[in-house]
Amino acid sequence: MSDRRSPSSTQQLVDLVLDPRDRGYEAAAQRKVAAGTAGVRRWYDRPAVAIGCLVIGFVLAVAWVQTHRGAPQEAKVHDSLVQRVRTAETTTSGLTGDEARLNAEVSGLQQAALGPAAASLLRELNRNRLLAGAEAVYGPGLEVRLSEPAGESEPSTAPGHGDRTPESGGHILIDRDIRSVVNELWADGAEAISVNGIRLTPTSAIRFAGDAILVDYEQIASPYVIDAIGAPDRLDTAFANSAVASRYQTLAGAKGIGFSFGEKPRLQLAAGVVPPPQYATPTGAAR
Amino acid sequence: MIAALALIAGVVAGLLLRPTVPTWLEPYLPIAVVAALDAVFGGIRARLDNVFDSKVFVVSFVSNVLVAALIVFLGDKLGVGSQLSTAVVVVLGIRIFGNAAAIRRRVFRA
Repeated sequence: MSDRRSPSSTQQLVDLVLDPRDRGYEAAAQRKVAAGTAGVRRWYDRPAVAIGCLVIGFVLAVAWVQTHRGAPQEAKVHDSLVQRVRTAETTTSGLTGDEARLNAEVSGLQQAALGPAAASLLRELNRNRLLAGAEAVYGPGLEVRLSEPAGESEPSTAPGHGDRTPESGGHILIDRDIRSVVNELWADGAEAISVNGIRLTPTSAIRFAGDAILVDYEQIASPYVIDAIGAPDRLDTAFANSAVASRYQTLAGAKGIGFSFGEKPRLQLAAGVVPPPQYATPTGAAR
Repeated sequence: MIAALALIAGVVAGLLLRPTVPTWLEPYLPIAVVAALDAVFGGIRARLDNVFDSKVFVVSFVSNVLVAALIVFLGDKLGVGSQLSTAVVVVLGIRIFGNAAAIRRRVFRA
């Protein structure tokens, strides 16, 4: 095994595993024996070994130090990132609260400043704000509830959703479901709609990002409650007869999602956040 | 004897100095570690076989580190750095195990 002339590559691999001996030592010993200097100590023997071992020990210690220094640093970075996310979240919710408060203040001041003389103007403004979803409103209407099945385990394609791909995480309901219910409610004559407490405005978007449904960049989760203010009878009848409702009835039977809707005598919808238009200018009234 | 003392001195120096490894050198640290261990065990085994040679010891250590680093450096440039790093660690690990087994057989006769 020791002195093969041209070992095959497989044999080299086997040798590597089975015979880890460094040939250099044997060769050097043989050379020494041949030269008759076996057992004679050369001048560089001791320093070479000492320096070599010093370097090896140093490398091992440095690796040890480096590994144990790196670990807390990673944890530190992680902690600081978590901290930053938390801070950003608090800031966001604080700013949202500020915005709602300032909006209320602005409407109060507007009413006070315009006074009774501009009553018609104010009425028109309020009507427009109402239509834009910038005003908290209440009224009778319909409440639609959709929720993921209780087990929520098996990812599956659902009937009636030909273009749907199986979602990761076993979600059956996606943005399209919320959107179709909302669209149906608008078509049935709803005047104001909110999804899980988020008021829909003319610029609202219901989207899907990863595993989460986003309404105006805010994440919502099952169960989904869609409140619509409008004539309760008409909403109820029209929604019950719609293709959307029958689709979710089927889904509820086949996949076990939660689906229910019913008239509500009084629904309270929060004000939505309407960003002011930057590019759209009214054509007629150039004030 | 002098080897063990130097080894301990090196460890103490590393622990006391606590040098910061530059980032570009960091990927080569694990390779240097296994190459160092390989040299140590190979040296001990040779010593027990009475064929130890200081020149072979130093040259094999230095060349192992350099060759392993070169392989990983090339791998980094070609996009297989981590795989080649693993390969180097595996090969040197096998050698360490083999040498350790030889030392064990010699010392304990088992």
